[in-house]
Amino acid sequence: MTRIFLGVLGGVATFFKSSNTAFAGFNFWRSSEYVGKTRDGIYEKFYIQYYKPFKRIKGDSWTLKITGLCEHPQDLSLAEINTLPIKSQVSRIKCVECWSAKAAWSGFSLSELEKRVKPSPEAVGVLFRCADTYVEYLALEDLHHARTLLAHTMNGQPLTDEHGFPLRVIIPYKYGYKSPKAILEIEFVSEAGRGTWNRIGPYSVDGTILPGYDHPLDRGKKRRRITGGEIFD
Amino acid sequence: MVNVMYKKAIYIGFFLFFPLSCVIAFAEEMINIPSGSFLMGKEPLASELLDDPVLLKDFEMDKFEVSQAAYKKVFPAFEYPPGTDRHPVSHVTWHEAQAYCEKLDKRLPSEAEWEKAARGTDGRIYPWGNKKLRKRAHPSYSGMVKRIVGFNKKDVSFYGVREMASSVWEWTTGGHLSNQVIRGGLWNEHLDYEYSKVYDRIELSPDQRFIFVGFRCAR
Repeated sequence: MTRIFLGVLGGVATFFKSSNTAFAGFNFWRSSEYVGKTRDGIYEKFYIQYYKPFKRIKGDSWTLKITGLCEHPQDLSLAEINTLPIKSQVSRIKCVECWSAKAAWSGFSLSELEKRVKPSPEAVGVLFRCADTYVEYLALEDLHHARTLLAHTMNGQPLTDEHGFPLRVIIPYKYGYKSPKAILEIEFVSEAGRGTWNRIGPYSVDGTILPGYDHPLDRGKKRRRITGGEIFD
Repeated sequence: MVNVMYKKAIYIGFFLFFPLSCVIAFAEEMINIPSGSFLMGKEPLASELLDDPVLLKDFEMDKFEVSQAAYKKVFPAFEYPPGTDRHPVSHVTWHEAQAYCEKLDKRLPSEAEWEKAARGTDGRIYPWGNKKLRKRAHPSYSGMVKRIVGFNKKDVSFYGVREMASSVWEWTTGGHLSNQVIRGGLWNEHLDYEYSKVYDRIELSPDQRFIFVGFRCAR
């Protein structure tokens, strides 16, 4: 019985493997109304990690909810988000699972939102709530860092669903799990919090990239040493 | 009654501050590194690139990395989480590290001094010798887990200087362009860590503050 089960399992695995080869670029999520984790096709060069699959966000009905410790909590539409002063940078996302990938990102800094909502003095950080139910915490000190961005554009185009449409964080000196995607809500909070990844696995709250090794997808995953903090090349 | 309260205050003060004083005194211990030459750099490059071994005058090196309590003693505004007095200080810039050392009539070590204190004169590649330690360098965790200075009793150098291949990386006066060099910490790969070799070096902007960068002083 076990042999039959393993045989069937092997057959299924072989089928999917050959399907991937035959239809390079195909992946389940792309053909559905859901988006989720993938490394197939074009995403071989920039892996996609989501906590859970979720229904693709419709830009015309999406709003960014800004809540918590601020004077003027509000909902901002995508059109309003797109009117904020634009900041651009090229930066590499380094995943804690060793790979990295680089892109040009555009968006705005948190201070642009803060001018509208006026956070309370007791606010020390922000909890991001995302479409895939992922939650992440970042301190205001990190969100005000010159290299931190709330990005809506990647390589000159609006973010794709896979890369976090309509809004994501880019914080290049921390591992990728500190850059939440498909953001629905930003809550100003008075105490440092923990994120989903930190709660479910051996991943630090701080998330700073440590000195070590990187396997850049754009360089054939060739292992190289990195110094810790942002990877600039 | 006043006399009793006065005595109580002395006792409380003693029990509160005596352990902290011990911690600081323990952390300030220095080791003499005798004058003489040593092989510096990566083998076999050392013999290829350096016609003569590096010659240094004698100097002293902190036995342990500077702790949070010791740093706070010099810079009282420095804050750290309760219960981490004896953890190595981190999140300090190169200039802050240098200022700390100068306040104690010390200085940051040069790269050559740092490396000699770590490897001695026999050209070894780890502070303790040439073989990898079987002791794990760090728990399986994606971030820096700091322990008390001197925690790793296997990471002892030729001269008895502690944790020059583990714990935090350490600022030195070595530099290139606008960067300063840090020495002697851990290399991370996902949840695994390896000890650095005595010649491993990283260049960082001196204004950077990281959880993985601390320092020790020389004199």
